[in-house]
Amino acid sequence: MPNSCIQCGAELNFPPAFCHACGTVQPFRPELSLFEVVGLPASFALDPQTLRQRVLDLQKMLHPDRFAHADGTARRYSLEWSTRLNEALAILRDPLKRADYLLQAQGVDALGENVKVADPALLMSQMMYRERLEDLVAAKDQQGLEDLRTEVDAAANAAVEKLGILLKTLPCSQSDAAAALLRELQFLDKLQDEIDRSEESSQNL
Amino acid sequence: MALMQIAEPGMTADPHQRRLAIGIDLGTTHSLVASVLSAVPTVMGDHDGKYLLPSVVRYLENDEISVGYPALAAAGQDPHNTIASVKRFMGRGHGDVQKLAGHLPYDLVPGEGMLRLRTRAGEKSPVEVSAEILRVLKALAVETLGGEPEGAVITVPAYFDEAQRQATKDAARLAGLKVLRLLAEPTAAAVAYGLDKKSEGLFAIYDLGGGTFDISILRLQAGVFEVLATAGDTALGGDDMDHAIAEWLIAESDTRQEDPVWRRQLLQQARQAKEALTAQEQVQIKLEPEAGNSRELTLSRKQFEELIQPVLQRTLPACRRALRDAGLKVSDLDGVVLVGGATRVPALRRVVAEFFQQPPLTDIDPDQVVALGAAIQADALVGNQREDLLLMDVLPLSLGLETMGGLVEKIIPRNTPIPAAKAQEFTTFKDGQTAMSIHVLQGERDLVQDCRSLARFSLRGIPPLVAGAARIRVTFQVDADGLLTVTAEEGSTGVRSEVIVKPSFGLDDAEIARMLQESFAHGAEDVAQRRLSEARVEGERVLEALQGALQSDAALLDSTEQARLDAARQDLEQFLAGSDADAIQKAAEAVEAAAEPLVQRRMDSALQRAIAGRSIDDLGD
Repeated sequence: MPNSCIQCGAELNFPPAFCHACGTVQPFRPELSLFEVVGLPASFALDPQTLRQRVLDLQKMLHPDRFAHADGTARRYSLEWSTRLNEALAILRDPLKRADYLLQAQGVDALGENVKVADPALLMSQMMYRERLEDLVAAKDQQGLEDLRTEVDAAANAAVEKLGILLKTLPCSQSDAAAALLRELQFLDKLQDEIDRSEESSQNL
Repeated sequence: MALMQIAEPGMTADPHQRRLAIGIDLGTTHSLVASVLSAVPTVMGDHDGKYLLPSVVRYLENDEISVGYPALAAAGQDPHNTIASVKRFMGRGHGDVQKLAGHLPYDLVPGEGMLRLRTRAGEKSPVEVSAEILRVLKALAVETLGGEPEGAVITVPAYFDEAQRQATKDAARLAGLKVLRLLAEPTAAAVAYGLDKKSEGLFAIYDLGGGTFDISILRLQAGVFEVLATAGDTALGGDDMDHAIAEWLIAESDTRQEDPVWRRQLLQQARQAKEALTAQEQVQIKLEPEAGNSRELTLSRKQFEELIQPVLQRTLPACRRALRDAGLKVSDLDGVVLVGGATRVPALRRVVAEFFQQPPLTDIDPDQVVALGAAIQADALVGNQREDLLLMDVLPLSLGLETMGGLVEKIIPRNTPIPAAKAQEFTTFKDGQTAMSIHVLQGERDLVQDCRSLARFSLRGIPPLVAGAARIRVTFQVDADGLLTVTAEEGSTGVRSEVIVKPSFGLDDAEIARMLQESFAHGAEDVAQRRLSEARVEGERVLEALQGALQSDAALLDSTEQARLDAARQDLEQFLAGSDADAIQKAAEAVEAAAEPLVQRRMDSALQRAIAGRSIDDLGD
């Protein structure tokens, strides 16, 4: 794919979505990774603020509302880029999804449906957490729910920190260990969500 | 860039060359229109300088139609032909508004599809009634601007579903307006507020209108308005406060309640009392249920606040949901902006201040702010360059597909930023299956019957393979207007099918054309027949759904619940053989009520399975 503007031929900066010389939106390039689309290096250690600012700056140029009166082709390109930017923000700002995306890029499917999990320690801790949550909900123990949430948050933060170490150099050389952490983090994420729902529904009564 | 404009005056936008665009707040009780005039967003007033147009339409005897204050004034005497709060009916079927209609003095025409109201000018749909309001606003804009607007942004409650949005667009088309965008009311308010006050940070917009409640959480930063989450209730508003007062008046005065004229007068008195109690400690209400028999009641602010407490409390679950979806705590917010006339009630301000742990911001006219925001966005969309503004909206309700057992698989969850796209793979269920039917739904619930059906289409020409071998990729694309396109494609052959989703209660062009010409009542027999077949379909659907649920999860019920459900089911089967639509409907409702514990537990156990992940399988290994 040539890295020059389809309209004026000027060289395109990365990401190659928009020509700064003539303002023309460029054809969408589905082969670009999410990191390339936002113009940031592929890395797990990514500052969410920088990412968000980058996406908003690009949306200011590429959002379909900017092309409400342009021709159909420009409108389609803008829709495709803008959709992809939203996807990049959603996936890259979430540590679990970001790690999964990086591992997928090196062919490791940690959360896929066909993965067999055989980590007895994780299974045991899952069961214990679940039982505690059920007991707290049954007892309508608001403070207990909040304490559990704090504990689960800490566990999730610890998992993200460990992932950060394993994914410091890419491709990751200990992908089995990283995949196991990812599964743990996925479980903790779901648990956080359910604690919030339980708290919310008890407040709504 | 600024230098360029100074150097070349011909390049700057001449005020007369600006494209004309308007923003319309089509409200439950009031509507208004605004436009950006000489770079300042401004509401447009009528000859008396009034900018609020009561959203009331009256069909007169001489085939004329009156809209606004004259219609409002006549509402008490001529309730059947004077339609107020029509927004509550937009995109709704007869069944949807039964509960609501008990409060309202209208003559609803039973039937399937879009709701109709019987008036002396014939049967009118909410779309047609709304179009009358829009026509008046458009005429006002044309007169003020001195020309036809090229397009309009019309605001809708953030929580309006696809059918309600489509109905709003249809009304605009009937009124001869080109709709540039439907914009969520709280988002519009945030735009006007944020640009006016140059505010930055995280804001909650609490919008209690006449008939709808919305809460939106936005991030305002350097001209970018990013909606983080939105939630609400499309059947909750200031009108409900009026109803609460009216109920109290009826109970206190012990008078006839069925007469629509009386009912309408009571509602107006209730409304006046509500407004008076914003400033006064108590109000006298004089009732005259029969000529010569009048009495006076005193309503104190304290009593009023007790009466409306349930309405206020009903807004809070949505606030919690929106905060959770945005991933924020109350303490993260930099401000809470109040929008909508009903937010003038002092008790509401206290409830909001307590919930959000800070006094709400009230330094902008809650009646105008939505229309002003719509005008600003219209100005940008019509092609007047506005570097200072970009609006990033979210999908208000989840979109999904029907899967086996009448369950909904969510493809794009609510509060996903748009534009958005998401693909999911499905496979065939039977050996040699060559077609797949695709049912697109909108809503948060897990069962198809509880969500709103948006479209059905089928993918044909799938190569006959063993069950589970074909790979069918279904892609949802939502554009910046919120318009959904669904594509299904089979992997090995590339067979494709695509549909641009139009909701079931939308009108096609032919219907719009016909509506403009005719308005006649269907024969009573026709209507009855349609009701019966509708009831039968519904009854059979309920039985089928129950069958499916019982097959897999009958064990979730105890014997008493089981017996109750069996009895209800037998009743329904018996009525289905007959031809009494009402009886079928009631029996179907009874079955659904009896099945409630089963539905609830099925969902709980599905949730638990999801949380537990794959641990059960693995334990077996």
